[in-house]
Amino acid sequence: MEKQKKSLASNPIVRAIGVQRLVILIVLVVLYLFFYWRSVPFRRYTTLVQICNFMYYILLMAIGVTFPLITGGNDLSMGTGLICYSVIGSYLIRMYNMPVWAALICTIAMGVLMGTINGVIIAKIEIPPFIMTLSTMMFCRGMGAVLTNNFSGTWPDGSQAGAWFRSIFRIVTPNKTIIPLGMLWMILLVIIMTFILNHTRVGRYIIAIGSNKEALKLSGVNVFKWHVFAYMICGFFTGLAAIAYAGTFSNITPGTGAGFELDAIGSAIIGGTAMTGGSGSVVGTFLGCLLISLLKTGLPFIGLQANWQQIITGGILLAAVTIDMMRNRKRP
Amino acid sequence: MKEALNKFKSLKLVRMMGFNRVVLIGVIILMYILFTILSPILHQGTNFAQVSRLLSALNYGYFIGFLALGVTFVIATGNIDFSIGPVMFCSALISGYCMKQYAFPLWLCLIMCVLIGAVFGTVGGAFVAYLHLPSFITSMALMQVAKGLGSVFTKTQTVSWPQGDAPNTWFRNFVRYKGIPTGLIFLIVVAIICAIVLNHTRAGRYIICLGANKEAVRLSGVDTRRWEMLAFIICGALAGFAAIFYVGAYTTVQPGMGDTFNNEAIAACVMGGTSMAGGLASILGTVIGAFIVALMQEGILAMGFSISYQYALTGLIVLGAVIADTLSRRRSN
Amino acid sequence: MPEVILTMKGIDKSFPGVHALDHVDFEVRKGEVHALMGENGAGKSTLMKVLTGIYTKDSGTITYEGREVTFANPREAQQAGIVIVHQELNMMGHLTVAQNIFIGREPKKGIRIDDNAMNVEATKLFKQLGIEIDPKTTMSELTVAKQQMCEIAKAISHDAKVIIFDEPTAALTDTEIEQLFVIIRDLRAKGYGIVYISHRMDEIKKITDRVSVMRDGQYIGTLITEDCTKEDIINMMVGRVIYEDPKTQSQCPPDAPVVLKVEHLNAGKMVQDVSFELKKGEILGFAGLVGAGRTETCRALFGADPKQGGDIYIEGKKVEIHSPKDAVEHGLSYLSEDRKRYGIVLKKSITENSTLATLKEYTKGLFIDRPKEEKVTQRYVDELRTKTPGIDQLVMNLSGGNQQKVVIAKWLVNDAKIMIFDEPTRGIDVGAKQEIYELMGRLVKEGKSIIMISSEMTEILRMSDRILVMCEGKKTGELDIAEATQENIMNLATRDIDMREGDK
Repeated sequence: MEKQKKSLASNPIVRAIGVQRLVILIVLVVLYLFFYWRSVPFRRYTTLVQICNFMYYILLMAIGVTFPLITGGNDLSMGTGLICYSVIGSYLIRMYNMPVWAALICTIAMGVLMGTINGVIIAKIEIPPFIMTLSTMMFCRGMGAVLTNNFSGTWPDGSQAGAWFRSIFRIVTPNKTIIPLGMLWMILLVIIMTFILNHTRVGRYIIAIGSNKEALKLSGVNVFKWHVFAYMICGFFTGLAAIAYAGTFSNITPGTGAGFELDAIGSAIIGGTAMTGGSGSVVGTFLGCLLISLLKTGLPFIGLQANWQQIITGGILLAAVTIDMMRNRKRP
Repeated sequence: MKEALNKFKSLKLVRMMGFNRVVLIGVIILMYILFTILSPILHQGTNFAQVSRLLSALNYGYFIGFLALGVTFVIATGNIDFSIGPVMFCSALISGYCMKQYAFPLWLCLIMCVLIGAVFGTVGGAFVAYLHLPSFITSMALMQVAKGLGSVFTKTQTVSWPQGDAPNTWFRNFVRYKGIPTGLIFLIVVAIICAIVLNHTRAGRYIICLGANKEAVRLSGVDTRRWEMLAFIICGALAGFAAIFYVGAYTTVQPGMGDTFNNEAIAACVMGGTSMAGGLASILGTVIGAFIVALMQEGILAMGFSISYQYALTGLIVLGAVIADTLSRRRSN
Repeated sequence: MPEVILTMKGIDKSFPGVHALDHVDFEVRKGEVHALMGENGAGKSTLMKVLTGIYTKDSGTITYEGREVTFANPREAQQAGIVIVHQELNMMGHLTVAQNIFIGREPKKGIRIDDNAMNVEATKLFKQLGIEIDPKTTMSELTVAKQQMCEIAKAISHDAKVIIFDEPTAALTDTEIEQLFVIIRDLRAKGYGIVYISHRMDEIKKITDRVSVMRDGQYIGTLITEDCTKEDIINMMVGRVIYEDPKTQSQCPPDAPVVLKVEHLNAGKMVQDVSFELKKGEILGFAGLVGAGRTETCRALFGADPKQGGDIYIEGKKVEIHSPKDAVEHGLSYLSEDRKRYGIVLKKSITENSTLATLKEYTKGLFIDRPKEEKVTQRYVDELRTKTPGIDQLVMNLSGGNQQKVVIAKWLVNDAKIMIFDEPTRGIDVGAKQEIYELMGRLVKEGKSIIMISSEMTEILRMSDRILVMCEGKKTGELDIAEATQENIMNLATRDIDMREGDK
């Protein structure tokens, strides 16, 4: 049995994907088939579109937070931040007639700014990352509404000028079929970020910070810079997530968004990123997010109503962290 | 000037309360004056210096106070609990629903509130103390569970506790009885009990000491896991207590809410001088902090601002307090 | 004779209260392996830290390649070509071997790190060293020995000229040591200057060309390894200093009852099959060099760390100890070598610390009995002559010696029968030391039994009635105080060779 396990683990295909990711992949397929079997409406094409819609903004945050997690940190400000940037972005369009492309850039810039603030204070004053990002989480929750005077955000839609940005995520063909184009960008981003994580200095040093910060310092690397950079990446992706959210949902209520980050963090941890830092995988995060999205979209089809969503989030997160803890304790 | 300050610091009352607490009381008075002057200017037709305003601020202060008292124990151990607000709502929802749907007697519902809170505390405490999970992520997960459970149990309906002429409204006397703010008396009594527990019992001693140096306490032959979990249980039970005072003041509870109260309770704690790093807690500070939070929210509303200002400010307060605490600890090392 | 590459002359370094280095001289030649020896605290590590820029020297000169140099930090030293291969490895376990070696100076191809080039370079390095390691392996998957070889490869890739090995063989097996020696000999042949710090006498004889000995922060002398014996080196290490009133014979009556018996205690690599007895009213000294497993033995005994096996008998009865709580209930107590981390709660008062282990007895009904608590604290403050303005004083405001007294008070309040003192006088000034010694004497007279771990030979010879010597996780001998000398203790503490050969 043990031998079999080992030989399975040394199989080149398995090695390339990683055992954990393979397990998630299998779970994904089984889960999909299960829903397919139990629910007829689930089999519709629109379900897949629905999964995609739900997935975009969670996945973008999840890719982003993978980087602070690898440094051994965290970012809790993503959820409320996302809503905050998105509301402000739409406010800029509605109140100042800003062209949509400029608003998109502003949205991302706000994310990067918040990421930088988080990163600088965490790396410089050495405040525990969760406390720091908790404060910015509270801050963002109020700030969106404060700056826009409690503006309920709506980005251009339908035939309005500037509604083009929604076609980044989906194209409606003449016969009303929706093509989830966003998925293509997601896969592209996963590939790009995997490259950055594994083949550039940014990624290398971010992993090294999580693995042994002191050793990295002794090697003469500017640890501060790269530590902040991890949070900037996270902020950038939260900005992207804000756009994805705006692109898929018509109404954005300021002050919401708390709890989105938990789905994102959960995705990353399920995907094999360790809470203790040092290792992580963007592909894993992608698969983890797929799993969470499938669960959350699929369960209502078999009778578990939407109000179960939060319990599922909580349960998945607890399970993921417990497994992560157990796994990392075994390895000294 | 400096001499006068030193002299003030050495007054007996000041020494007894701690200088920071006295400053906080000063802050409350200043805030009150500021709001009284500003609110008619910013928002026409309001008069902040009314008893009703004060009572409304008190109503808010009660349940925030109970939440903050509970989380003080958890923060003293060096952990954090983000689930208290939703746990408070969850217990109010479930027991309120039971009363309406299954005609549970009121006294049972009140006990249920506290019990549900304590159960959440026990679960969270067990994960943190026995499985060594980080408390922030555990409690965030439990926050989602509490929110979800509340809405699943009530089928996403708003729950109203009895009010007006309905029978079984005697629990509202906890908050106010014939014009007397009884809630304040309850809060003070509970705060005194908390202070006694924290400073004069074995549990309190261990909770604070393990927050300061867990390994040293363990090597003294103390089962630290048990006491660490106890802090979470106390916190949960007090969240259940807060639920009683919340419904006593506002009667209706909506599912899926409550997480902003976490932030305000934590802000009250850190303002009051409880250190996020653990090992240092002040009950008096927490109570004063809770009233600052309550007064702040009343003032912000009176001045015609939205509640969002409160959220943003809460974030800044926590950030400021934590940075100050981190820097001062670094200096003393 | 090959040319001298590094000379340290008259190096002086003081820390508050300690004269760590007293005008020390040291030199390294090209193509030699130069051993640096000395007891714990003799100043070897401090000297090397001064050399590599971790500490700044108070006076003296370092001449390297003919120029006088001062390094501000380890990185500067590294760039100049002086590299330490640490005892605790400075590795990033999640990265691959090649990624570790080239961290901070990765070759690039556009924005992409050229991992292929790195792997090729690393393979070349390993070939040069004659080691077979796949540079693509993740660091944490390698054995300690291989990790160390990666560190050596990293050092060489930095164009090092002087390589310092700080107890490199501590965690290696015999075959691995042989491999390491092959590499070191090879480096020597290539003209590197090598400093070799070790306690293992057999290795010194095997691998080094010269031996320099330090004692109490002073340079004692240098010997040619070939021409000297193990005894010569030990004599230099222990010196001829007359220590103040050493115990000449055991104060413990031979018929005293055994209070603690430990049989076949095993806990990880550092505690292997340790057995001993402790009598009532006896001070049992645990001697050995740093890393011999003495602290680990006591922590396992106390239940602070998990153990793999072993029976513990207290007053003849077998007991199960799985946590410090169990240990305390059976009358054991442990005073850690690292007071601030494991002994006291710095931010709390003397009273709170004193009753930490016994709070239950100072609780009346629901509440802590403050007057009773304060009374007992005051009693021990007086008895132990703890210098403090009052018992409400926070422990962090006390001096090291007084902090130690608070820890002792904690266990006396608990009425512990068996006390484990781990380095009881570390970081404590001379006057307070004397008091602690007197106190320990008093305690055994009152019928307590003490295990004392100490790395100071003086302390061991002065306090112990019996001495247990450990080396590399094993008990290597037991001496009655009457027969114990510095030489035979040091012999047992370093006699791993004979022992290891005996195992085969």
